[in-house]
Amino acid sequence: MEAIAALAALTGDEAKAASAAGSAGFAYGLAAIGPGIGIGYLVGKSVEAMARQPEAAGMVRTTMFLGIAFTEALALIGFVVFILIGL
Amino acid sequence: MIALEFPPINEILRWKDLFPTFNKIALIAVAAALIGTVVFLLAGRKDAKVAPKGVRNFAESIVEFIENGIIMQTMGRDGLGWTPFLLSLFSFIYLCNVPGIIPFLQMPATARMALPLFLSLLVWVVFIVTGFKHQGLAYIKNSLFPPGVPKALYLLVTPIEFISTFLVRPFSLTVRLFANMLAGHILLVTFALLSEALFQAEGNPALIPVGVLPLFMLIFLTGFEVLVAFLQAYIFTILTAVYIGGAAHPEH
Amino acid sequence: MLTAVVIRSGEVLQVRLVSAEEGKEVDLTECSFEPEASNPTECGPGPSPIIPEMKELAWGAGSFIVFALLMRFFLFPRLKKGMDSRYNSIREGHENAEATRTSARSEVAQYDAAVVAAKAEAAKVVDAARATLETERQAAITAANARIAAQREAAMAAADAARAAGRSQVESAVVDVVSSAVEIATGKRPDGSAVSRAVADAMSAGVR
Repeated sequence: MEAIAALAALTGDEAKAASAAGSAGFAYGLAAIGPGIGIGYLVGKSVEAMARQPEAAGMVRTTMFLGIAFTEALALIGFVVFILIGL
Repeated sequence: MIALEFPPINEILRWKDLFPTFNKIALIAVAAALIGTVVFLLAGRKDAKVAPKGVRNFAESIVEFIENGIIMQTMGRDGLGWTPFLLSLFSFIYLCNVPGIIPFLQMPATARMALPLFLSLLVWVVFIVTGFKHQGLAYIKNSLFPPGVPKALYLLVTPIEFISTFLVRPFSLTVRLFANMLAGHILLVTFALLSEALFQAEGNPALIPVGVLPLFMLIFLTGFEVLVAFLQAYIFTILTAVYIGGAAHPEH
Repeated sequence: MLTAVVIRSGEVLQVRLVSAEEGKEVDLTECSFEPEASNPTECGPGPSPIIPEMKELAWGAGSFIVFALLMRFFLFPRLKKGMDSRYNSIREGHENAEATRTSARSEVAQYDAAVVAAKAEAAKVVDAARATLETERQAAITAANARIAAQREAAMAAADAARAAGRSQVESAVVDVVSSAVEIATGKRPDGSAVSRAVADAMSAGVR
């Protein structure tokens, strides 16, 4: 409530900067949801596979890191957008 | 409730030039190349016949890691000729990442756009050249028109393949390395500033002991950054290996 | 509840504590802040976080290319050569050890065979000795038996002779007694030959 009241009191460039900061936070937060779920699922499944077949652990680990790298890229693009908006 | 005005991001990346056209990032990059050279130079000077120890053991374990942990897992035995390239890539990225947690340097060189951009463009050129060298013009056909897809679907598949292979790959390599390191740097700055501000809150002495909490978080994150520095170098190298392996041998 | 507003502008770090409910300032503290850069004019507003800088690009690219070329043509081949030669020597050592082991195994087998042969030889010798001993023993036993038999026969012959001598003496004595008895009874001397014949008959009958 106070924050919205404070925003209403701002004018012009200040309001623009404030809304940019807020939307940057939203952009990063939203971008982190999907990859967060994805990486959790991926690592969980990989651990399951490693527990089931410990002799294949090396291959599973390599594939897991590749998958994490691809999934993480989405969250990181969100982070870059966060920086770009925040500028 | 504490409102802390965080400095703009370009302010925490600010440093003065050591001399014109040479700044801290350039210093870290040159130092990384120098340290890598010196380590492998010292390792090569040791007697190879006796059991390796010290710097030679360290260098050989990195080589073994590149060969067994990265190349054999992704490219197979044919890719062993790429060991020097991947080895220098891994060492250079790691040595550029690690200054992010070294006191007084406190800046990963890869947290600036220049180095990741250059490295991923280099990897992009290398894997495309490898593709043409191994498959000739069929490389374009194999990568843009994957076999086993109905003819009508090529309208949809070809643009996607083109974007994902030739545009998204260098972009995602760059952004992954750059954003990970910059995010780690910003996290460290945030907690350091928070802790500093709380310790200097002279108006309210009750806040001073609270500053210990972000300090502990800072210590924890510093340890975490050691892991991230290694992991990002590893991921960049293994993705390079995957791309080069995919270009050298068409998928069937 | 208090709100700390920290404002950093150039050299000065301002910390204001504001009570959030009333929005009025409770305390105002100013503390001077010593920045790392001694001359703040040298650092401008700072670089953009996204746009790559040419100088960084050039230095980074140059150092990486030099490093990669050094690694490709000088550092790595030397290290790899050492590693390969050591691995080869280790492999050779393994192979030598394997060869030594097989030769040692064959020597052990030879030794075992020799031991078996020697044992067989010893058994043969022992058997032969035992056989020789047996024959010698048998010979000795037969010789002893023969001697015993000869001695026994001699003794028996001596005993027979003695018995015959005794008997002839008894016979002559009996003949004398009988002749004397007959002379006394009949007054005349009997025919000596008849008497001795009769005594011999009686004695041989009595002995029987």
